Amino acid sequence: MKYSSQMEKHFKRLILKKKVFVLTLIFVFIVNPLLIINSFAGDAPLAASGDVPLSSSSNSFWLWNFLGRLHPLAVHFPLTLLIVVAILELATIKRFHSKLRPAINLLLVGGVFSAIISVVFGLLLARNGDYGKDVLGFHQWTSIGAVVLGATSLFLLFNVVKKNKSNLIKPYRALILVVGIAISVTGHLGASLTHGTDYISSSLPWSNDYEATPATNFDFAAFKDDSVKLNKKEELELNMQVKSILAHNCYKCHGPEKIKGELRLDSKKMIFKGGEDGPVIVAGDPIKSDLFRRISLPANHKDVMPSKGKKLSEGDIAIIKFWIQKGAPYPEGTDKETNYRVAKLEPRNPPLPPATGNMHNPVDLWVNEYFKKNKISWPAAVDDKTYLKRVYLDILGLIPSPEDIGNFIKDPRPDKRAVWVRQLLNRNDDYAMNWLTFWNDALRNDYTGTGYITGGRFDISNWLYQSLKSNKPYTSFVKELISPEKESRGFIEGIKWRGVINASQRTEMQAAQNVSQVFFGLNLKCASCHNSFISDWKLEDAYGFANIFADSSLEINRCDKPSGKYTNAKLLWKELGTVNSAAKAAIKQKQLAELMVQPADGRLYRTIVNRIWAQLMGRGIVEPVDLMDNEPWSQDLLDWLAFNFEQNKSDLKELIYLITTSQTYQLPSVGFKEPNQLFAKDYKFKGMLKRRMSAEQFSDAVSSIVAPMFPDSVVSFIPFVEKPVEKAIPAKPVNNKPEVKLTAAQKEIADKLAAEKRKAAKKLAQERTEAGRLIAYQLFTNKSILLYPRASLVMNNSFLTALGRPNRETVSTYRESQANLLQALELTNGQRFNAVLKRGAENWRNKYRQGDVLIKEIYRKALGRDPQQKEFAVAKQMLGPTAKSEGIQDLFWAILLLPEFQIIN
Amino acid sequence: MATNWNRREFLKKTSAATLAAMAAGAPVTSLLTSCNSKTKATADSVILLWMAGGMAHTDTFDPKRYTPFTPGMDANSVLSTFKPVPTILDGISFSEGLESIGKIMDKGTLIRSYVAADMGFILHSRHQYHWHTCYKPPQSVAAPHLGAWIAKELGPKNPVIPAFIDIGQRLTLGEGEELKAFHSAGFLGNEFGPFMIPDPTAGLESVQPPDGMSYKRFERRNQLYKELVNQSPIGEYGSDYQKESLKRSMEQAYILLNSPEAKAFDLTKEPKENYDKYNTGKFGLGCLMAKRLVEQGARFISVTTEYEPFKGWDTHENGNTRLADMKKQIDGPVAQLIKDLDRTGHLDRTMVILASEFSRDMMVEGRPDLKVQEQVQQPDVINELKNYGMHRHFTDGGSILMFGGGIKKGQVYGKTADERPCKTIEKPIVIDQIHQTIYHSLGIAEDAHYVIEKRPFYTTQDGLGKAEMELFS
Repeated sequence: MKYSSQMEKHFKRLILKKKVFVLTLIFVFIVNPLLIINSFAGDAPLAASGDVPLSSSSNSFWLWNFLGRLHPLAVHFPLTLLIVVAILELATIKRFHSKLRPAINLLLVGGVFSAIISVVFGLLLARNGDYGKDVLGFHQWTSIGAVVLGATSLFLLFNVVKKNKSNLIKPYRALILVVGIAISVTGHLGASLTHGTDYISSSLPWSNDYEATPATNFDFAAFKDDSVKLNKKEELELNMQVKSILAHNCYKCHGPEKIKGELRLDSKKMIFKGGEDGPVIVAGDPIKSDLFRRISLPANHKDVMPSKGKKLSEGDIAIIKFWIQKGAPYPEGTDKETNYRVAKLEPRNPPLPPATGNMHNPVDLWVNEYFKKNKISWPAAVDDKTYLKRVYLDILGLIPSPEDIGNFIKDPRPDKRAVWVRQLLNRNDDYAMNWLTFWNDALRNDYTGTGYITGGRFDISNWLYQSLKSNKPYTSFVKELISPEKESRGFIEGIKWRGVINASQRTEMQAAQNVSQVFFGLNLKCASCHNSFISDWKLEDAYGFANIFADSSLEINRCDKPSGKYTNAKLLWKELGTVNSAAKAAIKQKQLAELMVQPADGRLYRTIVNRIWAQLMGRGIVEPVDLMDNEPWSQDLLDWLAFNFEQNKSDLKELIYLITTSQTYQLPSVGFKEPNQLFAKDYKFKGMLKRRMSAEQFSDAVSSIVAPMFPDSVVSFIPFVEKPVEKAIPAKPVNNKPEVKLTAAQKEIADKLAAEKRKAAKKLAQERTEAGRLIAYQLFTNKSILLYPRASLVMNNSFLTALGRPNRETVSTYRESQANLLQALELTNGQRFNAVLKRGAENWRNKYRQGDVLIKEIYRKALGRDPQQKEFAVAKQMLGPTAKSEGIQDLFWAILLLPEFQIIN
Repeated sequence: MATNWNRREFLKKTSAATLAAMAAGAPVTSLLTSCNSKTKATADSVILLWMAGGMAHTDTFDPKRYTPFTPGMDANSVLSTFKPVPTILDGISFSEGLESIGKIMDKGTLIRSYVAADMGFILHSRHQYHWHTCYKPPQSVAAPHLGAWIAKELGPKNPVIPAFIDIGQRLTLGEGEELKAFHSAGFLGNEFGPFMIPDPTAGLESVQPPDGMSYKRFERRNQLYKELVNQSPIGEYGSDYQKESLKRSMEQAYILLNSPEAKAFDLTKEPKENYDKYNTGKFGLGCLMAKRLVEQGARFISVTTEYEPFKGWDTHENGNTRLADMKKQIDGPVAQLIKDLDRTGHLDRTMVILASEFSRDMMVEGRPDLKVQEQVQQPDVINELKNYGMHRHFTDGGSILMFGGGIKKGQVYGKTADERPCKTIEKPIVIDQIHQTIYHSLGIAEDAHYVIEKRPFYTTQDGLGKAEMELFS
């Protein structure tokens, strides 16, 4: 006991000294960083005026950066100490004053102090590191919580030991156990931040992520360290990259067509067999491998390979070297196995998870499963205003008017979102004019473009518009494109330029490529010139498919050189059936059309539901949407949607309804720091992307708020009003009789008649002209009257091009959402845009005499809200005291260029 | 200035920011895998002087035996319709009307052996597409223009001047759609596409505040815009890359429109005497603008005589009289451009190329050994002046001029036959070589390429083009 009382004294002294120290630490390190955090949290990125911060860490004080980086080092002390304290307390649960007591006390003091220091370092690190916000937040607050609890337990312990308040022993011990648990949790979260959430689990073979995290797109060339061990997937990827290098650089002379030096490099057996001088690869030893030696020689060396053509790039050489170092892995199974992921063809209908709580929409049920698996929680749905802007733009391509927003918010019905979506979907013309753009891009249909001048291209706009307007089942839609009538033939007929063209670009091959890309999310472009290096598709497959669109079989050309070989017309998947190879194109296309849309063709339906999903959510379930063999983030969701879309009469509007009314669609949108994160392998779905309005959506919004962006004269396609009926002018009776002399009275009557006729004709002509003019924009749907031509109907121009409308020479399934200088110039001083703003300003000046009213109205119409006080003041300054049209024009410009206006949140 | 924008500061930052933006790219282009190394450059800027419509070599830079017009003459005997006139180079003559250019040939290389592609039945825009992209249309991937490749690989030289400027071509004329197909950055993305100035006399309009807006008002508008952006609850809107690119591009546009460099687009700022030397019409003034822009740090500029079917160099009739006009348009300005660049020292680092999609001949359509469908009626006996000229499309020979940026001075490269067919008989050179020569001078590696839709897409077909080193000094 004497010993222990000495310890008590010692402990007391220690604690007293530390008391002052702790208080100082708390002040300096906790309060101060919290203030720092506050200051940057309020500092929105764009609020920084003038200069562009390239990196947030670049301008902070070096010591904070340094201390911050000590965090990962320092955390291990408190982590271990506090957990050991908890364990020791458990171990000595029967006797508080055990032999271990002094040690435990010391450990706890050490643990708490080092924890405080670690937290401080951690806060400094969080300022500068690029960490995921969610996990970081958890980690930060659990850590601070653990430290506060730890300090409290230390206080309790102090009371127990110093003041003998033994009634505090139990609370102290309970608390220290909580601290132990909290510190473990926060430690795990911290490790997740550093290593990623699936760092440990992904190495387990039974983990869901095990297969899903292969190192594709791996930069093997950057690998200097050959001690790295590759997993099976990485080996496959490495081998594929090597094969691609060999294919593009070596096959020409060391392949099936030429076998120089008796060496072939196009199959595993041949590569390792070597050439006339023996093996070219010594697995594990690049220096001894002749292949590596010769590709790394200087360009003018007599032994250098390739002997003709260009030298391999540094990166390619590095990959070959790394591959040989790794023992030249060449995984190759039986013929049926493949190095490329191949998606299943057949449909699949996974049983829907049971509905839970208020969750009924199948989309949500699947996403819920996905969230559970990935430990993602459901945030609250977005507010009415945000939701309404989304569905308006997604379904109609228009922004909601202030009245729409008001009515929607006031609508008391609990299911109002679904009700309104249904109403929007029923606005057939508005819907068609919006989705026309999507399909024009995909089907490379445009009103102007190459080929038209020589009759080598056909417009399918009318067919397309009517198909969308009538919500044609997707099966019919596809069939009519594949086996076309006159109106829909443009897609299959392709674009024909005058003169001789590359064999891989003849119109039959264009058809094969475009059908594969658009309807199957499949890249056949490589295989239409040579056997693909990026998939298992062969030249023969491409020609087989192209032959369906040809009246007689095409001669196979390899890299534009005729081979003298032919193949039968066949589908890309034999499981789907066969066509009559000897028949004319029209018959084969008809057979193909039927075979393509059969339910067994899961690929067709997966591809379309994925496209629609991507259009509505900013990113597909599979990305890129044109490579449907890639792994979806939820196979179940994709399969279920595809299967049930097909079952549900392949009704596109119903699909859109299903998605847009889901809670998933209503999740807050997600932003990214860099665009390539969208395509990263570890992408996790958490909600739709933040998107930017398309060229057409932006133009239409400007048209609706300010003044029509496009005059009637640039409208290329007038879809919706029947052509004005020719009012029949009675045919002139055939008059064979000799001309009779008329009396004066008769002549007067005849003249009068003639005059009336002329007047009628003139009136008709005028009506016609007017109709022609009005037709362009006076569209009456059941809900709206548009008083301007929609951007999707006008011919391409520099404004739309600058904002991202593609020239539709090739199939186009993405729009860029990033701004650039040419675009900014078009928006800043482009003639069209400024003329529209000017015209609109004059209209508004006449309409709203008072500046205050006008400002409010602009904010309401463009942003769906009232201006804040400060905004109002700035806007007022812009307008000037008398609200001249110049001021209004400038205010329009400023508001329309606000990110708040252009970005769909 | 009442602005808190510090332009100099901005320029410093933009170069870094531009690089960052290029690394990031847009969602589509960010998927591009860059595989490109750089080599040592001998040039920083390029001016392409485009003779649109097919410039006959025998009536311009490679004259043959001259036969004056006499009614009843034998068409087959006519090789050139102008007198040859000696140039500064020994034994080298140009066709009459190109005397000024003849006098500056000691500053560059004359190529007389260009062989255009064979693409069957001739369509100008297809050959132009091929000349500018190195790929024959149609292509399954949208091929980038030469200028777009350069813009992508090197970025702007002066951050406020667009990297790729195209002067003089309207896209609203015949075959405009075909022209659009290659006046484009293709898969590289709009950011690298051409900044079009269809009319050089109105060039300033493209780079000054909008019509009817004073600089003061422009300044104020921008200032208040920034304040509104600051007030708007923007933090929530958009991904970082969207916001950043939006903000950055708006700043860049503002700075360009307000910068002293923008004055380079203003031809009225040129001393009258010099202005007059260039003023032979749109093309001449385009050359003047190119000169002014290069002096301010432009990267790639194309100046064209403008393609319009059956206009300009596209002589389906009256070849002789029309070429006299065309030569008047180009002779003075081209020579003056070279002299001015040389005098200011810019020629050392600026490569100037004068070229056309193919040549013309009176008799042969296509190649002598591979004739294609004829498009011009050419009587064997010429009675009317309108039939006197090079009216058929000839692909087997042609002339190109190259100056500066490391190009050898006073050299003649290649040769065509002195009798019909006047085809290339020595050192044939094709478009892939011309492009690679340009890239080489700029330090862009021969195998520069991007992977698009998993296909490696090179600056020249399959990356096989070779720079012609003999063209360099």
